[in-house]
Amino acid sequence: MSSHQILDPAHHADLRIHTSASARFGDNIMGCLTTPGEFRDVQANYPIVFRRDITSRKFSPLALFGFENGENLFLQGERWDARYRPLSQTIQPFLIGRAAAGSDIAQVHIDTDSPRISTTGEGMRVFDVAGKPTPYLEAVASQLAELDEGYRQTPEFCATLERLELLEPFSLEVPLKDGSRNSLVGYHIIAEERLSTLDGASLGELQDRGYLLPIFMAVASLSNFSDLVARKNAMLTLV
Amino acid sequence: MHKQCGSFLFTSYLSGLELGAMKSSIQQVVVVGGGTAGWLSACLVAARRPDLSVTLVEAPNIPTIGVGEGTWPTMRETLATIGISETEFLSECDASFKQGSRFDGWVDGSAGDSYLHPFSPPPASDMRDLLAAWQAGGSGTPFAAAMSPQHAACAHHLAPRQRSMPDYAAALNYGYHLDAGKFAALLARHATARLGVTHLAGEVVGIVTAQDGDIAALELKDKSSVSGDLFIDCSGQAAILIDKHCKVDWVDRSGVSFNNRALAVQVPVDSDTPIAAQTIGTAHKAGWLWDIALPTRRGIGCVYASEFLSDSEAEVILRDYVRTKVSSLAADKLNIRQLSFKTGHRAKFWERNCLAIGLSAGFIEPLEASAIVLIELSLKALTDNFPTRRDVMDIHAARFNELFRYRWDRIVDFLKLHYVLSRRDEPYWRAQRAPETIPESLKQQLLLWADQPPSSWDLPRVDEMFSPASQQYVLYGMRPANTPGAKQPTSAALARLADVREKARLIATALPTNRAYFTAAQSQNQNKVAQGDTI
Repeated sequence: MSSHQILDPAHHADLRIHTSASARFGDNIMGCLTTPGEFRDVQANYPIVFRRDITSRKFSPLALFGFENGENLFLQGERWDARYRPLSQTIQPFLIGRAAAGSDIAQVHIDTDSPRISTTGEGMRVFDVAGKPTPYLEAVASQLAELDEGYRQTPEFCATLERLELLEPFSLEVPLKDGSRNSLVGYHIIAEERLSTLDGASLGELQDRGYLLPIFMAVASLSNFSDLVARKNAMLTLV
Repeated sequence: MHKQCGSFLFTSYLSGLELGAMKSSIQQVVVVGGGTAGWLSACLVAARRPDLSVTLVEAPNIPTIGVGEGTWPTMRETLATIGISETEFLSECDASFKQGSRFDGWVDGSAGDSYLHPFSPPPASDMRDLLAAWQAGGSGTPFAAAMSPQHAACAHHLAPRQRSMPDYAAALNYGYHLDAGKFAALLARHATARLGVTHLAGEVVGIVTAQDGDIAALELKDKSSVSGDLFIDCSGQAAILIDKHCKVDWVDRSGVSFNNRALAVQVPVDSDTPIAAQTIGTAHKAGWLWDIALPTRRGIGCVYASEFLSDSEAEVILRDYVRTKVSSLAADKLNIRQLSFKTGHRAKFWERNCLAIGLSAGFIEPLEASAIVLIELSLKALTDNFPTRRDVMDIHAARFNELFRYRWDRIVDFLKLHYVLSRRDEPYWRAQRAPETIPESLKQQLLLWADQPPSSWDLPRVDEMFSPASQQYVLYGMRPANTPGAKQPTSAALARLADVREKARLIATALPTNRAYFTAAQSQNQNKVAQGDTI
């Protein structure tokens, strides 16, 4: 169970955060949440798929890093081999908090159990010696704001996709060099055929809401599966 | 002594002659002396010229001077060239990072009188414009703080790099502080185990001269002899080849550089104290004190001129410094070593087939840590242009002598600059400013620098020891108001200085303290040892 604290210079004066990538910091994950606002950057590196929550039945978009739980094919020791990391990754161990339940006032909180919190004096400082935010915290704060905005828009975006029947389940069978097969099931992707035959009124609605660009970015992102397979094969060669 | 060489040795030399055509090619390099200079010479020659046979002859039981404990950034390339990993170097030599030198009390000795000469240069922009932009700031920001983010790093004892960076990569330019004894030992192990250098323990008691006047061989105390084609004299102040054998003249520079004594101590420090990021030179009434921080100890020394200060007065100054800057407990337990030195250098460094490197070539007070870098530059000049034939050696020697005479002149001038800009009033400091003690070349520079900032027009050579940036840091560090031709700041120059401020913020965010760096590195090493990894 993680515990969250509001970030403040009095309590976190000397706080430093490990920002490098590593399994010991919890980066050995097969994917993470993303939001339509960053689809353009995400699709340059990762496949974007949609997952339906079992209880709420609502969809949310994910950037995929691997084919199975705990597999991040971009993680090479202490290096994340991609130019862009999704915001929900780069802001860790910080998160958006609220002054009170339902409040609009966003605060920067920190997960005090995160392995990213440095105990060695190495890592990025959060506050400078005068207690002012460092450039690192400034960057995190603006990423959190961007992510917060993205999280607010995502339900409406996914609900619209669902209403227009633009999401379809997909499964991927990946034959690997060693003869084994990897399969990926349980995710949805944009229904391309349905998209190409969408009526003018619906297209107009997507256009008005600014959804067309992220939809096509999600479509384009699927070509990254071949990169993901290549990475998986490269790993097999190493073993 | 060398004239008494026995017939035995002469015979052994004659047998060398029988190699006939081989005689003119340079294949055997013999290094005399096993201190920092000797082992660096052996390592660099062996690493850069693996085709040569390199032998180092070291007299047993000769203590190393061991106060040359600050390097320049050049040491990173030197270590990479000879194939020692940075992690190994740092842990084996109890080394720390050096990002420059700080001078306390040099201007007038008042509280807060301090300026920094960092290794990272000012922004690449016209210095006149930068000076105008700095002066327009008007807030009394020190020159180095305005010009380099390294000022902030030094102020907070930060490391110049992160451990995750590749060996020798830098966020800020840096050299090292090191334990000279451990450094020589590491180089010796590396040279003999990995670079194929032959190590002979033996005292040189005679020198065999060839008919043409070259050194043919060294006679050791056990009657064995070591023949060679090129002899590198790293025998320190003894200078047994360049002085005692070759009789090359000594050029005395003590008329410009007065200091001739030092008291040196090593003070252990607690493992939770900050490790200073730069050498600290603190002026006193008749000289200055050095303070070099390693992870486990501080090397502190009092440099002075015996004409102006007695040994006992110097000791009082040293103890006071340790009492104020470290602890009174430490000040009561000092084991003080006294050193005396002559400031000067050889009239020639390379004579026939004998090249002097290190203290045998010259000595000057360690105000800007010029000793080890001179060794590196000498070896760069030698190995970049290594003569494969005897008949070209004299051409190389003549060039080398001209170049290093120039370099010594520049060192003498640059160190003197630190004194002539002072306003301290003690007799020693007034004597340092007496016109007859200032070299003509420095007088001219000072006149020029009243009219324009130091530039590469003043120091036009390849690998100048002290770049225009170094001259600027000292000049405007000591005389902030001495900015010629004040003019309106350009928006471009203001933007450059804003970049420096932003970079300083980033650096203070991303870099660990030196202490955190070395503590983490040490615990990683211990883990490796625990896991059975061997180096």
